[in-house]
Amino acid sequence: MPAVLNQSEHREQSEIGVQLFGQVFVNGVLLGGLYGLMALGMGLVWGVLRIVNLAHGAIIMLGGYTVYYLYTGAGVDIWLALPLTMAIMFCFGYVLQRYLLNLIIRSAMLNTLLITFGLNVVFVYMAQLAFSADYRTINPPFAGNNFEVLGITVPVVQFGAFVIALGLAALLWLVLERSTLGRAIRATAQNLTAARLYGVNPKSIYAVTFGIGTALAGVSGGLFGMVSQVSPYMGVTLTAKSFVVAILGGLDNPLGVILGGLVLGIAEAMTALYLGPTYTDVISFGLLVLILVARPAVLLEKA
Amino acid sequence: MNRFVKLPLSKLLFGAAMPMLALGLAAAPPAYAQEKTIVLGAAVQLTGNLANSGRYYRDGYNLAIDAINAKGGVNVGGTKYKLALNILDNQSDVNLGVRQYVQLVTRDKVNFLLGPFASNDALDDSVVAEKYKVPMVQGGGASGQIYSRGFKYIFGTLPAAGDYFKSTIEMLMKLNPKPKTVALIAADDSFDVSVAAGTRPLLASAGLTVVADKQYSENSPDFSSILSFVKSTSPDAILWTGHEPQALSFIRQARSLDVNAGLMSSYTVGVPSSDFRKALGPDADYAFGMTPWLPLKTLTDPWFGDGMAFADAYQKRFGYPPDYHAASAVADVEAFAKAIEAAGSLDSDKVRDALTKVDFQSLYGQVKFGSTGQISMPQSVIQIQNGKLVPIYQTDFIEKPLYPTPVWSKRH
Repeated sequence: MPAVLNQSEHREQSEIGVQLFGQVFVNGVLLGGLYGLMALGMGLVWGVLRIVNLAHGAIIMLGGYTVYYLYTGAGVDIWLALPLTMAIMFCFGYVLQRYLLNLIIRSAMLNTLLITFGLNVVFVYMAQLAFSADYRTINPPFAGNNFEVLGITVPVVQFGAFVIALGLAALLWLVLERSTLGRAIRATAQNLTAARLYGVNPKSIYAVTFGIGTALAGVSGGLFGMVSQVSPYMGVTLTAKSFVVAILGGLDNPLGVILGGLVLGIAEAMTALYLGPTYTDVISFGLLVLILVARPAVLLEKA
Repeated sequence: MNRFVKLPLSKLLFGAAMPMLALGLAAAPPAYAQEKTIVLGAAVQLTGNLANSGRYYRDGYNLAIDAINAKGGVNVGGTKYKLALNILDNQSDVNLGVRQYVQLVTRDKVNFLLGPFASNDALDDSVVAEKYKVPMVQGGGASGQIYSRGFKYIFGTLPAAGDYFKSTIEMLMKLNPKPKTVALIAADDSFDVSVAAGTRPLLASAGLTVVADKQYSENSPDFSSILSFVKSTSPDAILWTGHEPQALSFIRQARSLDVNAGLMSSYTVGVPSSDFRKALGPDADYAFGMTPWLPLKTLTDPWFGDGMAFADAYQKRFGYPPDYHAASAVADVEAFAKAIEAAGSLDSDKVRDALTKVDFQSLYGQVKFGSTGQISMPQSVIQIQNGKLVPIYQTDFIEKPLYPTPVWSKRH
């Protein structure tokens, strides 16, 4: 009798284990989609402009506030607020690149690092002055909802963010591969002189590319605000994560970046479950070191 | 990415920041040079990721100093002294805070020290107080680690972190239905480690089974793995400890992953703050929390009148309501005023000895330091009910709790 009981108990235990694994895997995939979206802009700017944008997290933060004020402040519908934020952030990024970053784009890597680090400090402190250090949440009515598939709970917002991330990555891929603009962007990245000879104006291409990167970062900030919260200081860890994801995914293909996001998301979720959340940073940066050792060419070629 | 460039960049930035800092200091007129003043020094999180709580200390210190000065200041052996504050921004950086406290003591030569927010900071900053033998009264760190080192110059007005859940567990055993299983979730900083270490024996002696005991990283905004694990153990109660931004993430993600405690959830930090309710909206309802302080009329105070009058004055001046952090900050300044008057001297050692003997009623409660330097106070259990903060239990029930907490899907 007891043996039978034990067996069924055991089965129940392992069923819980499998269920939990599935749930955490899905959590990781959904989180990874958001990470991928965050890193998309950073990877694009890095690949094309050779700028490692240390203000990337701050730009995500500004996007978060834009969505927050559009939705919570001005009462704009959330589905309108997100594209509107992309438009606003595109303009912001365009101007930033055209009139500031273009001035130093030809100088040494350290200078671009320094200026984007400086921008990060400026954005963060301006944000605290303008928005205060209060934590803001973007709370559309469906924010906490979820649905169940095969006993696994899927949060609506995380799922939506995942779909949006995939959609935007596919769109970006299409634009880069199929459109004239995309060809110009790729040409500028591959051979600046040749691109110029064919009539591409790098100044405007750079600004447009940076604008696209900023728009993508902005929308990811809004989605992050629905999952977590927006504060002036949210950017630091997000810059680090975007960096890891961009390296993991490679800098040439937006879909690769999403894949990099998924790898990081799943790795973090699994680490948090089986090793403890204290180790998530160790794992994500360990992954980074591994990639750098295994594929140093990625960095050398691109940056 | 920061990790990669931190070395050269932080040096460069430091190089740029130092002249700016010097300029800023030189530009500030030494207002307290003319009349007899006692300068209290502090390095507080005015910017950075803890700025949201750091402001309670900046504003509490300023309000207390102005109130004491308005009533004539501090009487030191027959001479009236005014209080002044020398406050620096530690940018939520523990290491910078330590350097600033050294600067406050050695260069600015402040008379006494007030503390920063949070146990991690207080733990390191108090070393400076001890080393230079300048008394520090701090109201931002509750961890027992701060007081377990035999330091003589550190005093604190937050009750011990290990006891934060004491009144909550006591209350739980008086509720019907009684919980049997508990999930304990704590961050990895010194405050939360102390809370968890103190809570485990309390749970054991109450006969509660811990089905999940998880630590999370302060830096990680994602709780989905922990939440999924907690869900798989279906605990009756979730006891959670950490700081406010993580509490917000935890609750929002709990809702989106449909994780429910069978009976109730309680959070050490966040629940008393108005910002918490604003950020969560109706999702804040039913959350239990705790506070050593409530703005009560019964808390009489020599400078503010009572706890309620203090809360009103604070709200009026700063535009947001105080929580226990602010009241604790005020108590720190008042403790110095009382101790300096009792010592009749500005001598560090005499004031330090006087601090060990202070015992007075304040808007914060009875201020009296134990042998380690830490105050002893009960935590009141509070709950958010329909967007309002309601005191529930201290040694007995104050108001009726909303219990058990309905599952998320039945709440809206």
